[in-house]
Amino acid sequence: MWSDSLLIVFISICTAFLGEGLTWVLVYRTEKYQKLKVEVERQSKKLEKRKEAHGDSLDRQQKKKIEREEERLKNNNRDLSLVKMKSMFAIGFAFTALLSMFNSIFDGRVVAKLPFYPISWIQGLSHRNLPGDDYTDCSFIFLYILCTMSIRQNIQKLLGFAPSRAASKQGGALFAAPQTQFK
Amino acid sequence: MSTKAKQTDNINKNKCNESIWKKALDKNSEWPDKEEFLDVIYWMRQAIGIILGLSWGLLPLKGFLGLLLFVILNAAVIYVYVNNFHNIDEEEYGGMWEITKEGFMTSFAGFLVTWIIMYTGLHSEKL
Repeated sequence: MWSDSLLIVFISICTAFLGEGLTWVLVYRTEKYQKLKVEVERQSKKLEKRKEAHGDSLDRQQKKKIEREEERLKNNNRDLSLVKMKSMFAIGFAFTALLSMFNSIFDGRVVAKLPFYPISWIQGLSHRNLPGDDYTDCSFIFLYILCTMSIRQNIQKLLGFAPSRAASKQGGALFAAPQTQFK
Repeated sequence: MSTKAKQTDNINKNKCNESIWKKALDKNSEWPDKEEFLDVIYWMRQAIGIILGLSWGLLPLKGFLGLLLFVILNAAVIYVYVNNFHNIDEEEYGGMWEITKEGFMTSFAGFLVTWIIMYTGLHSEKL
């Protein structure tokens, strides 16, 4: 059982590197992506600073400036996601195929023993395709998802491919913006 | 880039890493770059997750208690580190909640993986 779980950790490390490598080849190294990324980060920081300085003031001109910058950032963010999208689809397909292959290899096999009793809506994942009613038995997919969650993000951060905090914060704020507009 | 430029770049990077370590371990350090401090919190969290996962697996600690203890310890260590060790004004970072959230899910996943694997290897083979 232990060898299976260690093998799954190894598989997820490999797939994380493979995924990042492929994304690097298809996206990160392209000039367009690099330009847009720098631009989005610069704009996000600028906008954050401007909001901090003038966020509460009722000055119309400042508000208009902030709105204009938000609009520009929104467009750049959209372009950035478009650049990423194509390769994400390709990688998504490749990984779905890989996942189904591993799924069939580990089908019906208990790969680990959970030290806790999973809550009901996780049991569907942690006990997928496993025989018996012992819900502390862990399936391949549950362990693989956990490994990917921790390993992939850390690898992205180590390699410097993770999106900056300012950009994701502004991105989140932009997604929330239309709701307030309609109020 | 020429080799000389590359070498100076590497030296600068090493110096920068050294200073981050020094700042992270020194009491009441100044953090002009917020991102740098949040990165320290992030990696600290990951280390805590793995250390706690290994310890819970070795003990072995089981059930909901293990999860609860992880959440409490993880939040407490970061709280003490931010407020008592560095005396950071949390409002600068958008409140304590923003700091508490930083890297939590990744650390939780890392904790679960190490806990499950240690527990499986050391205590469940006889089952």
